Amino acid sequence: MKKVLLGVLLAATALTGFAQTPEEKGLAIAIEGDKRGEGFGDSQVKLKMVLIDSKGRESSRDMRVKSMEGKGEKGDKSLMIFDTPKDQKGVAMLTFTHKTKSDDQWLYLPALKRVKKISSRNKSGPFVGSEFAFEDISSQEVEKYTYKYLRDEVVDGMDCFVVESDPVDKYSGYTRRVAFIDKQEYRALKIDFYDRKNSLLKTLSNKEFKQYLGKYWYPNLSEMTNHQTGKATRLAYENYEFRVGLKEKQFTKNSLKRAK
Amino acid sequence: MKHIMKQGLLAGVAVFSAMSASAEVSIDGQIDYEATGFFNDSLHPASDQNFNNSLSFEAEVYTEWADGTQSLTFKPFYRVDEMDDERTHGDVRELMWHMVADEYELKVGIGKVYWGVTESNHLVDIVNQTDGVENIDGEDKLGQPMVQLLLERDWGNLDVFVLPYHRERTFAGTDARLSIGSEFSDAIYESDNEEANVDVAARFYSYIDDFEYAVSVFHGNSREPVLGGDAISGKPLPYYPLISQFGVELQYLIEGWAWKFEGIHREGTPEADINLFGNAVLNTSLGVSLGEDQSYFATTAGFEYTQVGIWETRIDLGWVVEHMYDSRQEKASFGAFEHDVLLATRWAANDDADSTLLVGAVVDYEYEDYSLSLEGTTRLMDGLSLEVEARVFAPDEDAPLYGFRDEDFIKLTLSYYL
Repeated sequence: MKKVLLGVLLAATALTGFAQTPEEKGLAIAIEGDKRGEGFGDSQVKLKMVLIDSKGRESSRDMRVKSMEGKGEKGDKSLMIFDTPKDQKGVAMLTFTHKTKSDDQWLYLPALKRVKKISSRNKSGPFVGSEFAFEDISSQEVEKYTYKYLRDEVVDGMDCFVVESDPVDKYSGYTRRVAFIDKQEYRALKIDFYDRKNSLLKTLSNKEFKQYLGKYWYPNLSEMTNHQTGKATRLAYENYEFRVGLKEKQFTKNSLKRAK
Repeated sequence: MKHIMKQGLLAGVAVFSAMSASAEVSIDGQIDYEATGFFNDSLHPASDQNFNNSLSFEAEVYTEWADGTQSLTFKPFYRVDEMDDERTHGDVRELMWHMVADEYELKVGIGKVYWGVTESNHLVDIVNQTDGVENIDGEDKLGQPMVQLLLERDWGNLDVFVLPYHRERTFAGTDARLSIGSEFSDAIYESDNEEANVDVAARFYSYIDDFEYAVSVFHGNSREPVLGGDAISGKPLPYYPLISQFGVELQYLIEGWAWKFEGIHREGTPEADINLFGNAVLNTSLGVSLGEDQSYFATTAGFEYTQVGIWETRIDLGWVVEHMYDSRQEKASFGAFEHDVLLATRWAANDDADSTLLVGAVVDYEYEDYSLSLEGTTRLMDGLSLEVEARVFAPDEDAPLYGFRDEDFIKLTLSYYL
């Protein structure tokens, strides 16, 4: 709650235009963006992940994601269930996001009936063969980065803040990310990712934003392009549902084993 | 045993045909074609083939009702094997009713559970019997009749099991490769109730950040048979003693390291006895004689170190080192790892085909022998996967695995998902 209040104050300062360092302004924008996503309660969505190699060949995976918002100081919880490829059907991943310490993550392999804890060291690794890293798909808590406002820029006809965020975790695969956030709704339209050598590695484009519950903006399409390999991954979301009444006990290790 | 399989199968079919009228039923299937080539002729005259074809089918039928709080899963399995009549077999891998209540979960039926953390050896895992004809790695299991109560609280998870029926371990037949070349005598039990003895088990597991731990107990028919002699038939004799086992599992993840430990303490296994010609069990016309009950402990401990994205590629490279110990040493049962080390490397390509490769050596530093293994998987297209498995045995003359010295093989498995 304290953090939220702080966020409001900082955002207020941003609006009233007190003298701010670029770091303060960057943090204020991040906090305001986070605040606008708060209060969704729980959600579930179906998505299709399409992996596109450098020659344009495609292969796809279908999955469902259920999320539950963390209350107070707790991070969000999420459960991801794979429906295809067929040999991966029933594979499920449970994530407990934490604001400051590393996330807890478990993978369930139905053929072996085995729940395996995933090392947080893996966060820079590719997520199921895609151009998304584990750290890209986990819930983005404000505390996981330090921020710096860079400039204003127009993207797709929208006025944007350009904000750099540097990961706090030394095992991140990035030195920095540069996000283009529209001033109206605080949506990340585009994020550039710079690798450990500080060269441009990937760009995430979020498109086809839709507003839910009259408040929350989510993209229906997210495209991650790897500039170094020419590969890309497209996430197409269908049928977002909010406040469907998911319960805490649907996000436990036992629930992972019965996820269908 | 065949009997209960058939009953399970019939029950599964009956329940699902009754349900399919009202609820939505999902059906998945998998057909595996397996081709195995052996590099040398068998030592046993009955098994004269160096190439084997095998086909297996597994289905999963699932339905849920009451807002997903109750479900039924049915998983029949059947294999037809060219070489081995024992391997031509069926099993109900699962026929489980599962209910999720507010404070607990209950499962009743036939099912499979897995306990453990280590790679080389699965000491703690005791609920299900090994389907030994499927693979010598012991990772394939027979369906186990059970009632399981699951409690999940903030302080951890507690699973309690009542296991009312024991399954006998399956062994390769005399015509087969990877066989001991002899038929087995009918199994005998220490329990007067034999396979109908009601076994009990429980496991508590929890975690603190990246430290995961579990303790487990089991009392009942041993899943691992003690191999004795049958002086009447002259055949080896599987004997299932009543045992008590206490197990511990630990895993600690730190940076790229996964430190792992499994340990068991087991009571009630008869020891090989000089009066029984070195057997633990001897069946003669005068009755069954047993070696003295012994207690022992066994451990597997080691680590896996993973390098994410080596050589600036997408590939993850893991190094696995585990040490196996059994306090019985040379008196340990056939197939136990008394003083061995696993050295392995795991590759994950992180490609769109989810390709992986695990290559390892198990070295017995007392017998100074080793075995090598390779396991690789990749997806050819959606619904079609390929698996490669190869093993090389280089056992010492005195080692229990000496009989497998000419059983080196390579196996290709094509899996088609319906």
